[in-house]
Amino acid sequence: MSATAAAREDRPGRGFGSERVREALVGYLFIAAPMVLYGILFFYPIGYALYISRYDWGVLGKIDTVGFGNYRELLHDHRFGIAVKNGLKFTLAFTICSMALGLFVAVVVNNAIRFRGFFRSAYYFPSIASSAAITAVALFILSADGLFNQITGFDRAWFGESGTALWALVGLNSWTTSGMVMLFYLAYLQSIPTDVYEAAAIDGAGAWRTFWKITFPLLRPGHFFVSTLLVIGGLKMFDQAFIASGGSGGPNNSTLVPVLYLYRVAFYDVRFGYAASVGIALMLIIFGLTLLQRLTFGRTDAN
Amino acid sequence: MRARRLFVVLTCSVLVAAVFAATSLGRSDKNGSTTAASGTVVLSGWGASPDELKLLKQVLRGFSKTYPNIHVDYQPITGDYVPAMLAKFAARKPADVFYVDSNVFLDWVTQGLLEPLDSYAQQSKFSSKPFYPSLLNGFKYKGKIYGYPKDWSPLAMEVNTDLAAKAGVKPASITNWATLTAAARKLRGVMPSGSKPICLSPSWDRALAFVYQNGGTFLNATKTKSTVNSPAAAAALNYYVGLIKQGLADIPAKLSVGWCGEALGKQKAAIIFEGNWLFPFMTSTFPSVHFSTQRMIMQKQHGNLAFTVSYSMAKDAQNKPAAWQLIRYLVGRPGMATWTSKGLALPSRSDVKPVAGRASFLADAPAARPWQFAPRFSQVIDTANNELSAVIEGKESVAQMLQKVESTANDTLSK
Repeated sequence: MSATAAAREDRPGRGFGSERVREALVGYLFIAAPMVLYGILFFYPIGYALYISRYDWGVLGKIDTVGFGNYRELLHDHRFGIAVKNGLKFTLAFTICSMALGLFVAVVVNNAIRFRGFFRSAYYFPSIASSAAITAVALFILSADGLFNQITGFDRAWFGESGTALWALVGLNSWTTSGMVMLFYLAYLQSIPTDVYEAAAIDGAGAWRTFWKITFPLLRPGHFFVSTLLVIGGLKMFDQAFIASGGSGGPNNSTLVPVLYLYRVAFYDVRFGYAASVGIALMLIIFGLTLLQRLTFGRTDAN
Repeated sequence: MRARRLFVVLTCSVLVAAVFAATSLGRSDKNGSTTAASGTVVLSGWGASPDELKLLKQVLRGFSKTYPNIHVDYQPITGDYVPAMLAKFAARKPADVFYVDSNVFLDWVTQGLLEPLDSYAQQSKFSSKPFYPSLLNGFKYKGKIYGYPKDWSPLAMEVNTDLAAKAGVKPASITNWATLTAAARKLRGVMPSGSKPICLSPSWDRALAFVYQNGGTFLNATKTKSTVNSPAAAAALNYYVGLIKQGLADIPAKLSVGWCGEALGKQKAAIIFEGNWLFPFMTSTFPSVHFSTQRMIMQKQHGNLAFTVSYSMAKDAQNKPAAWQLIRYLVGRPGMATWTSKGLALPSRSDVKPVAGRASFLADAPAARPWQFAPRFSQVIDTANNELSAVIEGKESVAQMLQKVESTANDTLSK
């Protein structure tokens, strides 16, 4: 091969390379703006929280350097322990209940039933309503002489007793979130190829068997996605616990969840450094749990 | 020639002196302030009820007439007041004048957020003597005044007179724990279903009054150590929780109400322990419910809590001279007289008389201790309230609660 021919052959290669670079540059340019915003709104606050978590930090700034003192204190903080335990209890129950309810509703409204559109909108409605308003209404319904007790015959102040307050929150949140879960599951249900169902029908599988042997396993990516969202959302739950307990996390710490504890440490004890260490610890817990989910549910999804 | 020059010099000196004196007089207002205050001053507080807002605006109109050069920009904060204020402090843009609850005062003053007012008071010869000392002390830190109480209230005992008459109970006869229990026992027979003779809040901002009545304390005099784990406190709390255990009382959640005032209004309870804030609530929400108000019950001694709020100035206030004039007017005699004229609040000055029917509150002024402890004490109160809930639910004993509360308090005090 002559030198000229070699050079000619090289050209398309170089051209391809520069095109790739140009394409990549355009791509990076497109994501630059959101990444800058992401950096300002996420990475900077996380970095800043890490920074102030090493100080006794007051309203007007640094008071004293404590190094890892805040983290050491966190390890022995009884109320933080209660908050994490409550947070995990809530998240586990809320994730399971929301997924079960959301999936059930999704399967129902995925069928060709009459007024399907209406039911889909109706089930999704609690997800778009204000959580503060819904919690306020729930406080009335679940009060000692509220509607719920009058219908069921119970005699309990559901938010007023430490044995039931957290579970009342689980019920409330599962119901409000199930609409969103239904929407995600609907999308995943519609992505399952119909020929699998046809094959099952030919083989004589009933509805129950079809659901457990085909629908449920094929929704695995959906389970991963939905459960990840719910676990993160569950551990970050704040507003309902704040409203239901009047901001105290009571009765008897039963609704004290990690973010509510962080809020109280920051704004009522005026300990921003310590509150930042609570935030970092919470971030690590969420990150760890998400990783765990990825390693269990997500593996097949990746394959 | 020399005499003429001397005359000119003297005349000029006199003129200069006269102009200087006139300027100085102009700068000194009729209330004795030495600095001319003008411009805008921002006033903040938590949201007021329509009646309170009407009165506050009336007070501010009076201020504008006295100080026409100062414009007051009233910016109430709706929602959670403390976090909203802390965000403003952190941004170095706080209101010039604002409410400070005695409960958060120590946290705010130790963070350097408040301006000491002694020099302003001295300069304008503003006397703090008419203020009830126990209330003013709630806003003093290291000998300096950081706020003047705008109003206050202790707890009192309110009794539904219709239910009491039905049960044959004379409210005036309820003066101590024994007579309270006896009255509750009589009332039990006439209470409608779903109600209890007494409503008790599961929180220390009510239970502590019973501890004080029995000679107990929460902190020592120097506020360096918790003294709550004592036989006096244990007896008081056993009595408090015992009323619930005996079925003579219940907490608001169990009575399906938000607070004990609502329980009185809805006739879910016949006896409650609330402050002056109950009056506007009952008048506007339950005007047909008849109730009497009397001095808080006692045991070994009179003991009560004082809930008070100050007008304070921010260290980062933009217009300090005007801010001081506003504080001085609001907590001064005419301002406070207008503010307390409808009985929505009790005056914190002894030279302003409250409206009729509030004698039972004023009687407790010497015995009432401010609802205030030490910096960063909110965590301790949270723990104490949660422990009290656990005791009421039967999950813990009073002795266990007191041990935990004292240990948490001492941990916080030692930091």
